[in-house]
Amino acid sequence: MAPTRRRQLRTLGALALGLSLTLAACGGDDEGVPIDDAPADDTEDPGAADDDPDADEAPRGTLIAAISGEPDQFDPHATSAYASFQVLENVYDTLVAPDADGEFQPSLATEWDTSDDGLTWTFTLREGVTFHDGSDFTAADVVYSFNRIIDDEMANAFRFASVDEISAADDHTVVITLTEPTPALLANIGGFKGMSIIPEGAADEVDLATEAVGTGPFELGTLGAGGITITAYDEYWGGPASIEAVEFRYIGEATTALTALRTGEIHWTDNIPPQDIDGLGDESGIEVGVSPSVDYWYVALNQAVEPWDQIEARQAVAFGINRQQVVDVAQFGAATVNQTAIPEDSFWYHDYTPFDHDPGQARQLLDAAGVDEGQPLGLMVVQDTEGVQAAQVIESNLAEIGIDVTIEQEPSSTWLDRQAEGEFDAFMWSWLGNLDPFDFYHAQHYSEGGFNAQGYHNDELDGLLEQAAAETDQDARKALYDQAAELIAGEASYIYLYNPDVVQAWADGLGGYEIRPDRAINFENVTLPE
Amino acid sequence: MSGYVLRRLLQAVIVLIGVSILVFAIMHLVPGDPIRQALGTRGTEATYLAMRERAGLDDPLVVQYFNWIGNALTGDLGVSFRSGRPVSELILERVPATVSLALAAIVVALLIAIPLGTISALRPRSVVDWFATVSSQAGLSIPDFWMGIMFILIFAGTLGWLPSGGYVGLTDDPVEWARHLIMPAITAGVASGSILTRFVRSSVLEALGQDHVRAARAKGMRARDVLTWHVLRNAMLPLVTVGGVQLAYLLSGVVIVEIVFAWPGLGQMALQAVEGRDYSLLQGAVLLFAVIFLVVNLVVDLLYAKLDPRIRYQRAGS
Repeated sequence: MAPTRRRQLRTLGALALGLSLTLAACGGDDEGVPIDDAPADDTEDPGAADDDPDADEAPRGTLIAAISGEPDQFDPHATSAYASFQVLENVYDTLVAPDADGEFQPSLATEWDTSDDGLTWTFTLREGVTFHDGSDFTAADVVYSFNRIIDDEMANAFRFASVDEISAADDHTVVITLTEPTPALLANIGGFKGMSIIPEGAADEVDLATEAVGTGPFELGTLGAGGITITAYDEYWGGPASIEAVEFRYIGEATTALTALRTGEIHWTDNIPPQDIDGLGDESGIEVGVSPSVDYWYVALNQAVEPWDQIEARQAVAFGINRQQVVDVAQFGAATVNQTAIPEDSFWYHDYTPFDHDPGQARQLLDAAGVDEGQPLGLMVVQDTEGVQAAQVIESNLAEIGIDVTIEQEPSSTWLDRQAEGEFDAFMWSWLGNLDPFDFYHAQHYSEGGFNAQGYHNDELDGLLEQAAAETDQDARKALYDQAAELIAGEASYIYLYNPDVVQAWADGLGGYEIRPDRAINFENVTLPE
Repeated sequence: MSGYVLRRLLQAVIVLIGVSILVFAIMHLVPGDPIRQALGTRGTEATYLAMRERAGLDDPLVVQYFNWIGNALTGDLGVSFRSGRPVSELILERVPATVSLALAAIVVALLIAIPLGTISALRPRSVVDWFATVSSQAGLSIPDFWMGIMFILIFAGTLGWLPSGGYVGLTDDPVEWARHLIMPAITAGVASGSILTRFVRSSVLEALGQDHVRAARAKGMRARDVLTWHVLRNAMLPLVTVGGVQLAYLLSGVVIVEIVFAWPGLGQMALQAVEGRDYSLLQGAVLLFAVIFLVVNLVVDLLYAKLDPRIRYQRAGS
């Protein structure tokens, strides 16, 4: 395989470092990144594209992208579907946005400043930005958008948990006051397009589920059952997109998508089964992009169910799983084993590997915990996902240590119900797009966390997480999360398995596209193959 | 005749009410919560409860049912929970693709079934008969997703003759509409054609043994005329019934074929509605499917009376 076909992005370290630098910069001087005159992506990632389009070049051509999912709706504040965000990524903007390295960059806000007590954040907004309906973007739109999420108790309301008030100091200044220091604020308000800025009053004036009034490089077109087209917005603040339009097609079957890519019917797809990666990379005319992601897969044991309330029993399962085998079988190697949540490239990574595969040790722990051979364990997975293959490997791994796994495949709606009601022995699941540890550790392992379905409770950890959530010194914060990681993984609140790769493929000669660890797809600087 | 139609329509209404209660009850009683599904895993309990209330899911089921059926009677099928769009709009959007595929597939099925079934009946235990039996068995046994994928790999991939998937509207571009339709129509049509081939064969065989056929032959009628006027006309009767059911089945969406060919039909929509527990959308879709089956059956029965005068007299006299 030609090395150029794979772009292994080693970016997460930069992600987190970038965050820390930005925060440090915001503390005092005026280093607030003045990049008003150029599209953010062009200046941020000089090495990103082989042939970046000239910003002044006239838009040309339509990119055809096949996505494997189908968007449910297009209200950025209401949807939680990744397929919706693949489209919305190109339509809406947030105050700040992670770049390809995960570093938070100015977007609709050009700079920001934190008060000494960490409780007041002041955002200076970009001037000369217009929404797709032609209206000017001002501070009132930010206040409206954020308050809509909070007041209507929308899916992302929890991201404002520590926000006391959002106010407009003037037309281009927004002040966010907090009840406690929140170093993860940038990730909370700009981590993804679920925090998009919409025009004041938009929810009452347009049907946001089907129409979009954003500030992004493309406008949402008419909805269709088989796909949707977005067209370049010429007044985009970052300069017009390098292509006229992007046509998203919904193609659920991978063979169909890949055949369409081979025949030139489409230019880009994310519908690539892991087993096809190697073969596809060898084909001429197709470029395969593989990047480590910031997602993780894990197993959680229900601590309200015996014997999994015992740490030893959970640790035994952690020793009993052969992670490399799981990765090889379920992901065809397109993943990296990990015993903690955070991938190696991240600033937040903590090297902690207490559970290398060891059936003997596992059996000893089970004996110590009084768990007999033949102990049943129901493992709940969502049907038709990569989790099913992984569960089959785990089933055979755990059979070796005398645990009798029954795989329970459920449709996602039932899976979510059972998880919420605590009606499971164990489940397997993934957590996507992780930028700041606050987001996932707090939800999943804090005693009162919103997704602590396994029922982990540890006062020491609660204390660490509370401290880390409010710690503004980034190194001190990392040290706290390192300790937290050792408790979480060590006591097997979660048994982490691996970080999957992001895999996408596109036609050879497609320029200006960059695969990203957070799976966001940006087409504004893309140029079509000749 | 009109009395008969009226009676049938009345029956249809009763069936529809039954279907509406059944689908409503099943959807609400199976595990799985639409709000949790929409929220994913990250929302808090407060958000969950607020969304439940907004969606009216906290009302008693009976109240919810009468709200829904009351609106449905006025033509308002409600709003899809997941997409925020009117159910009727979502359904109508997919009707052209679904009808195109269903009609094309039934044509393919008949083109396979009538010649193959007739010939194999005329030459029982011949090579042709053997071929018909084996191929219809194969047509039924080969999974449609596999057949579809093979078609795509060969005709779109290797040969490059046809597009690999997707749908183009007839009014947008008739040529592309047809090109996109060929592979899905054949894939969906083969299974139906295989079923129909067996019916054609057995009903032609049966008709061949009838007294009036023997009589026609005895009086020296040409074999082709016997076949056309006495055998096939009679043999077509059961075909109309079975073909009607096949058409209704195709009209209510062929999920697998739709997924393989990225065909935006009703089947895919219904599947997504089930997965997302999108109550109003699925209820609307199932009601529509029930109407399709009722209408097709009614038309079949009327056609029956047209094709076979005995049936009409019998019913008129009863």
